[in-house]
Amino acid sequence: MSDDLKCYSMDVEGLNVNYGQTPVLWDISFQIPKGLLVGIIGPNGAGKSTLLKSALGLVKPLSGKIDLLGEPISSCTRQKIAYVPQRGSVDWDFPITALEVVLMGRFGRLGLFRRPRKADREAALQALDLVGMSSFADRQIGQLSGGQQQRLFIARSFVQNADLLLLDEPFAGVDLATEKSIINLLRAKKEEGKTVFVVHHDLPTVEEYFDWVILLNTRLVVCGPVKQVFTRENLAQAFGKNQGLFDEAAVLTAKSVSGIL
Amino acid sequence: MNWIDFFTDPVLRAPTWGTLFMCIASSLMGVILFLKKKTLIAESLSHAAYPGVILGVCVCGFFFPLHEEWAFAAVLVGAFLSSLIALKTIQWLQIKAKVPSDAALCFVLALFFGVGVVFASAMQTILPAWHKHIQTLLFGQAATMTDIHILLYALLGFSAIVFIGLVFYPLQALLFDREFAAASGIPVAILVRLIFILLLVSLIVGMRSVGVVLMSGMVIAPAVAARQFTDRLHKMLFLAAIFGALSGLFGNILSVVGSLYFSTEIKKMIFPTGPMIVLVGTSFAFLSLCFAPKRGWVFRKIRIYSFRLRCLEENLLKGMWKKGSLPFSGLQEMLRISRASLFFVLKRLVRHGWLVHEKGIYFLTFDGKRKASSIVRLHRLFELYLAETLQLQVEKVHKTAEEMEHILTPDLEARLTQLLANPKKDPHQQPIPEKI
Repeated sequence: MSDDLKCYSMDVEGLNVNYGQTPVLWDISFQIPKGLLVGIIGPNGAGKSTLLKSALGLVKPLSGKIDLLGEPISSCTRQKIAYVPQRGSVDWDFPITALEVVLMGRFGRLGLFRRPRKADREAALQALDLVGMSSFADRQIGQLSGGQQQRLFIARSFVQNADLLLLDEPFAGVDLATEKSIINLLRAKKEEGKTVFVVHHDLPTVEEYFDWVILLNTRLVVCGPVKQVFTRENLAQAFGKNQGLFDEAAVLTAKSVSGIL
Repeated sequence: MNWIDFFTDPVLRAPTWGTLFMCIASSLMGVILFLKKKTLIAESLSHAAYPGVILGVCVCGFFFPLHEEWAFAAVLVGAFLSSLIALKTIQWLQIKAKVPSDAALCFVLALFFGVGVVFASAMQTILPAWHKHIQTLLFGQAATMTDIHILLYALLGFSAIVFIGLVFYPLQALLFDREFAAASGIPVAILVRLIFILLLVSLIVGMRSVGVVLMSGMVIAPAVAARQFTDRLHKMLFLAAIFGALSGLFGNILSVVGSLYFSTEIKKMIFPTGPMIVLVGTSFAFLSLCFAPKRGWVFRKIRIYSFRLRCLEENLLKGMWKKGSLPFSGLQEMLRISRASLFFVLKRLVRHGWLVHEKGIYFLTFDGKRKASSIVRLHRLFELYLAETLQLQVEKVHKTAEEMEHILTPDLEARLTQLLANPKKDPHQQPIPEKI
């Protein structure tokens, strides 16, 4: 087996993450091969976004490790990874145009003092065109609709030329047509050999959209090819009420550890 | 006194140039704070510099009593350390002690400024001669600046401009979307540290001319004014620097001229520079909030009223379309508005050629009829769209259409017509007038 095939797109071992006194992720371990379109599924507050953020090093885990493309996150691996945050996480009244937002995808590579070159601008314009927004390049971002704002974020991740794309709720608050166009863009990325992770919570579309799923509810319920693991029993476990006792116990331990109790 | 004197006279030029450069630096930093929605931090940090200022002057007073001209260096060092400790305290309170950020900012402001005031009163008795240094730093006094201050402040203004020029793109990414910036490999931690150092330096240096108490007003006002005029970050920075420079310039001039004008032989009056600069700066901000062409309050109100007037006019024409002609009283019954406003609207419609007025009765002109029928067309088209395409109940469509008839553009009308296959009847079985 060659080196390239041996390493996983995401490799998580014994991951624990707390926000203050609340455990968000509890002893998660799984491995996911490359070249797939992966859905991260779970109810609200299940730790889906936190999983992405800890993979990116934006949230410090309590314990455990999480590798992307076979390595822990570093300034070097960041060049191969693109992140699309939730649309609601930024101020859309910010004085910036659509093109400038897309151009941001290149700044990580350029470093602190280098300015974007003509090639970067061309790439940004092409990405805007790819998501069908080239006529909005000079618009202030607040004038765009929700679906357009989401496509803008997708375009920004595309100019990063990453091997691994991590998208946090790209379908939240967008219309059906935009959702379809985004999933087609992501499928095209998969065809190019990239790996795409998507945080998602609309259950009826899961089987249609994804190759693999990670079912999550603070603990890992199951992870594997969608045809095998997306079953009624597993869903009941992820979204059911049997979780209650575990949650209470988890909160108690977290309080003891942080010195509240 | 000539205007040019403010820039060239050996005594007057130092305060003018000094405040000018200082205000440019602080307004550039203000834009960053304003866009990060962290404006209160300027208030806390500038107040927190006060105890450091006093300790700095004390050290100078005790150990180097003969070198009063170097007191300003001691002030700068003391203020920097004191603000830095305050900044670390705020961050510690927020991250480790989980105190909400506004509470942490308030707590640090009150604590540090309170300690400063206690130190100041103690100093009044111990080192009375040095006490005046501190008093001037509360509200700022540009008048006693010298040429060395010009150099210092020019250096600061220049370094703020160079810093922002060099890191403009990563800075933009950081301000807009910090998590993305961090995830994509922009050295966010270093950038934030540089911003805070430059902010601290500009706050501390600015104290000399604006003072501890009002410094944050100077930082924020130009950014508020600039935001009103543009939707681009580089233009906003440029405008804020201009507004900052003008506030510094006019504030300083007002302070000098005002103090001279109101002073008499017996009684000397002093207008401190700080309040003057802040007053000019906030006036710019206030005027921009009111009168900026796109975002300003006044023009927004005007646009709202002119839209309402258009709705009223179009409703009137639409009402006339069914009847052809109506007397004043009939119109009043139909629209239910005051006599004066109805009279005003009718006057406009006659003037624009939609109506003619004969013996107390109003008639639609030929053009008026065409315009009215096109409004009715839009109304009925939209009703049909709501009822047929969107499956709304027929009784509920009238109200939405009532609003949309004033808003639909020719392009939307064409698309509606195509979508509904150029219909002839609306959901109430009324005829839809042909497009003219």
